[in-house]
Amino acid sequence: MPFLAETAAGIPDISEQVLWAILCAPLIAWAIIVAGGRKYPTIAGYLAIGGVGAACLLSYITLFNVMDADGGIVKYTHEWFAAGPLVVDLGVRVDGLTAVMLVVVTSVSLLVQLYSTGYMDGDHGEGRYFAHMCLFTFSMLGLVLADNLFQIFVFWELVGLCSYLLIGFWFHKPSAAAAAKKAFIVTRIGDLGLLAALLLIFRETGQFDVGVIQEWAKNPATDGTLVTLFALGLFAGAAGKSAQFPLHVWLPDAMEGPTPVSALIHAATMVAAGVYLVARFFPVFEASPDARDVVAWIGATTALLAATIAMVQTDFKRVMAYSTISQLGYMMMALGSLGYVAAIFHLFTHAFFKASLFLGSGSVNHSTNTFDMRKMGGLKPHMPITYWTFMIASLSLAGIFPLAGFWSKDEILLDAWRNDTGLWAVGVAVAFMTAFYMFRAIFLTFHGEYKGGEPVDHHDEDSHFHGDPAHPHESPWVMTLPLIVLSVPAIMAGWFAYDHMFANFINHALPELPHHEGSSFEIGIAVSSTIVALAGIGAAYAIYMKRWVTSESIRETFAPLAIIFENKYYLDKLYEDVLVTRVFHRGWNRLLEANDRYVVDGIANGSARIARQASLRFRTLQTGQIQSYGLGIAAGVVVIVLAVYSANPL
Amino acid sequence: MSIGIEHFLTVGALVFCLGLGIALSKRNAIGVLMGVELMLNAVNLTLITFSRFATSERPIAGHTFVVFIITVAAAEAAVALALAVSVYRNRETVDVDQFNLLRS
Repeated sequence: MPFLAETAAGIPDISEQVLWAILCAPLIAWAIIVAGGRKYPTIAGYLAIGGVGAACLLSYITLFNVMDADGGIVKYTHEWFAAGPLVVDLGVRVDGLTAVMLVVVTSVSLLVQLYSTGYMDGDHGEGRYFAHMCLFTFSMLGLVLADNLFQIFVFWELVGLCSYLLIGFWFHKPSAAAAAKKAFIVTRIGDLGLLAALLLIFRETGQFDVGVIQEWAKNPATDGTLVTLFALGLFAGAAGKSAQFPLHVWLPDAMEGPTPVSALIHAATMVAAGVYLVARFFPVFEASPDARDVVAWIGATTALLAATIAMVQTDFKRVMAYSTISQLGYMMMALGSLGYVAAIFHLFTHAFFKASLFLGSGSVNHSTNTFDMRKMGGLKPHMPITYWTFMIASLSLAGIFPLAGFWSKDEILLDAWRNDTGLWAVGVAVAFMTAFYMFRAIFLTFHGEYKGGEPVDHHDEDSHFHGDPAHPHESPWVMTLPLIVLSVPAIMAGWFAYDHMFANFINHALPELPHHEGSSFEIGIAVSSTIVALAGIGAAYAIYMKRWVTSESIRETFAPLAIIFENKYYLDKLYEDVLVTRVFHRGWNRLLEANDRYVVDGIANGSARIARQASLRFRTLQTGQIQSYGLGIAAGVVVIVLAVYSANPL
Repeated sequence: MSIGIEHFLTVGALVFCLGLGIALSKRNAIGVLMGVELMLNAVNLTLITFSRFATSERPIAGHTFVVFIITVAAAEAAVALALAVSVYRNRETVDVDQFNLLRS
């Protein structure tokens, strides 16, 4: 029946072995590096490239197969274990959404591995670094391939672990160790919600399968409150992982990790896992308007909050970090506005240009030994490749026609407009700020006078910097090649929006087509967002390039706002000083300590004291006199005899 | 007045109480031993009384018991007196209220 082939997707023709091979290739690389490759960092690097490269190749094969089937679903499930009513499956599921994620994860990961061979060259822990990176890639692939929520949860925690290990990669630096702990604990708060959702869905359906959960949410007989609770639980997990307000505080600190790690984990893949999770269970959110509103407004709040902070950061990499938070907020906003396609499309394009930006910032760091923009400037003639790739990625992020970011951002704004004009207004404001802070960073870093970078501290044994910050130079080809390669999707990834190609491809991952007809191009939205982005670039140009208005005078004009932004809305202070120090340490911990000291110790010491007092009384009975014992025995016999006699009279 | 089982038992009980009183109240270890002997023989008397007055399938069983007890009591007396001598050599006393080394 030909008309069916047009409306319903087919089943992709992929063998199970291919899918497991995608998952296992990085795992095998990890195992080999851990087993023996750590002492040979060069080999470890090649192993990582080989393992991830194999996964990447197979991912593309999978993608083309799924494309032939028009984004249909194929899944292979096996029973993992059963404990009473709890049956947990282990399976792989591939559809349009998975295929897109597979390609994003493996492509970015492969380029980052290549880049790392240059960036991490000479570091003491290079072998360990590649091992962690392989483990991360494996976990992330497991997360996107998983066909049930339980498996998603397992890999979800695994990527969290890898994130912890890699943020704290330079664990001898106290700031890195603290950042790793912060990331782990803050995301764990969100994961509590995910765990609750997991338990809820098990109680309600007894299964974890993605398809079953989607059907459960769609079923009109399902209790709407439970669907909302389940959706909010999922979103709590997603908010932790994707750094949404109020759990976003860990991501800027996560920049303590090596820059390629930030590019892979904290820009392109792991932080997008939250968006992926919400998209994967999109029918649940469709069924719950309340949860959707929460997602949309949390997303919008995050986008705005992070963009405002990004405008005043002086650390090059932290600008990117806040930009990532802001863009993730954008994606959440789209999901909350029923923009499933828009969110995943933005995830797809963002992964490429944001990875490119991070790798570019790493390249700058490689030649200047600093991330402080106040010590940079004028790098354009010294680092042309880095400059131009950074420029392309920034234009893409700012949403300039016809680069990738333009198309995806436009779709998000369109969905926001249809849902709630308030959300759209926030989105446009954020678009302006995005263009502004990106070009502020570019002008401060690449234009003007070079300010010397950070002198190399030769006494620092951990520093593996082997250049001369006073004379910046372009990075080696292993670092510039990934930048150039990433520039291609940063320009062209948006063109997949043509004729709803991307939308049709990933829509079949859902049980039925979304109720609204994808996003289409609307000239009014597109023009307005472009004008706003150009205005942002123009403002940055006027302030930081031409200096018609000095940044100091603007800062003074908006002094209260600027101070709030510079202090990150005092959220870190709120969490650390008030919540952790006051409420947790001085309040709750003191309470527990008092309980331990007075109640628990009281019971232990009190029982000992009672026993001691009693024994002081009883010891007087122990005379050591044989005759008094004998008297006791005789008296006892008499008592027993009398008792027996009175009980049984003769 | 015929002498029946209750007379024998009464004598046995009295002798037992006498022996118990001596064993518990005498300070001298030898005296305590004598009290113990009295108690043993009171039990013997009781056993032989039941053996004599009760009709049983094994009428000789009570006598056998008594003979055994007398034998064991003789052996016990020998051991106990040896102990008393030994204690006297060490402690230069046989007063049982001095034997309180178990007390801490």
